Amino acid sequence: MKNSLRTLLLLPLMVSAVFAAENPIWGEGRITNIFGYGKEGSTGLGPLFTLLQNQYFVPIFLAIIVGVPAVFLLHYLVIGPKVFPHGGKKIKVFSLFNRVIHQIAAISFIVIIPTGIVMVFGSFFGGGWFVTLCKDLHGLFTIPFALVVIPMFFMWVKEAIPNTDDIKWMMILGGYLSKEKKPIPAGKFNAGQKMWFWIATLGSLVMVITGVMMYLLDFDMSMLVSLTGLSQIDLLRLAAILHNVVGFAVLALFITHVYMSMFAIKGAVHSIIDGHMEEEEVRILHSSYYKKLQKEGKI
Amino acid sequence: MSTTNVKMEFYCDENRCIECHGCDVACKQAHHLPVGVNRRRVITLDEGIIGKERTLSIACQHCTDAPCEQVCPVDCFYIRADGIVLHDKETCIGCGYCLYACPFGAPQFPRSGVFGTKGSMDKCTFCAGGPEETLSDAEYKLYGQNRLAEGKLPVCVSMCSTKALLAGDSASVSDVITKRVLRRGNR
Repeated sequence: MKNSLRTLLLLPLMVSAVFAAENPIWGEGRITNIFGYGKEGSTGLGPLFTLLQNQYFVPIFLAIIVGVPAVFLLHYLVIGPKVFPHGGKKIKVFSLFNRVIHQIAAISFIVIIPTGIVMVFGSFFGGGWFVTLCKDLHGLFTIPFALVVIPMFFMWVKEAIPNTDDIKWMMILGGYLSKEKKPIPAGKFNAGQKMWFWIATLGSLVMVITGVMMYLLDFDMSMLVSLTGLSQIDLLRLAAILHNVVGFAVLALFITHVYMSMFAIKGAVHSIIDGHMEEEEVRILHSSYYKKLQKEGKI
Repeated sequence: MSTTNVKMEFYCDENRCIECHGCDVACKQAHHLPVGVNRRRVITLDEGIIGKERTLSIACQHCTDAPCEQVCPVDCFYIRADGIVLHDKETCIGCGYCLYACPFGAPQFPRSGVFGTKGSMDKCTFCAGGPEETLSDAEYKLYGQNRLAEGKLPVCVSMCSTKALLAGDSASVSDVITKRVLRRGNR
């Protein structure tokens, strides 16, 4: 029993060792990082990446993790949350499939986002085994996320296409600046949720691709090299820049998503847990969706 | 090493380098580097173009404004008073940012972890070891020989049969080059 367990634990190590030895990419074809060495412009995106990483990325991430929650704290204290009675008639809004996909993505994000922050502020945490562990978890939890991001895109894309409601929603900032319960123009998803949808699916896809590129470092990117005309090292630099820049949006909107579901609208998180939403809540916060359901005779 | 006006550097005389690979083999052997890790590398420029083709030996160039040190998210780099750029492998998380910043492709990443994850970065130390106790076993295991502490030159330079590759403080290196130019007409 103990032996077989050990074998099981060592298996990935052995597989990776065999893979590394036989794979021509990690053996002989290890990247020659100095692809265009000695030629004009051979430093490529290096100086740009150095400047951004040295001076801008960390302060911007700091501004996001301090600034965004600060704005919401102010909102919570000054305007306060919207509270709807929970006990009335409920409307089913999310299928079991919706919820399972969402929950896999949610669990992945709960690991990916904090570990990413730890890496950005790696010197604060002193580097070493802790930050390395976070780096490995960051990559490991990308796997479940990558599996659900495509189904998540297709199951909600129809509801996330922008329409005129979104402009009206933007004009009143989703009604979050008042406590009044007036019907707010929004379909199944409001403009804010749509924004998050696009960043969380397409944005995250960019994150997954650039992350995998940096993780594998020297795998065969010749297709990308010939497609873009960039050298492999420049592709990696571009990946690092994109991973950080798109990361700003993912982080800011993730904090927003958590605040909205957990605090701004009391109990909103239950709709993704049991799939049902309070009828009153739908009528006010997603008025266009409510009207549509009424027309279809579903209520 | 208390004098701060000393700046250690490598210089490769392209008129003398004959692409024998003595330097990179010596480096690999001296520091017991694993397969795939090349602290020093001999490169050919303008290959096949008659009259223009030349070879050079490059490693970490120990830059004064080292970009690797600027981008490291865990600040594992430190620059000695004599200008040698070193890093702490125990702090390094193997993120690869230093490689993206480096114009010479100096940082190397051995695949050591489970699933072939990148291990701590490895690069040329100017044969000056690392942050561990000087000439200790721990230093030898992590960073290879500390020849500078023994009063010797880096092993690549000592091995160079044509003396194309030079190392030392910038004043001595430029002194050698100046004499070569003056006495031999830059040959």
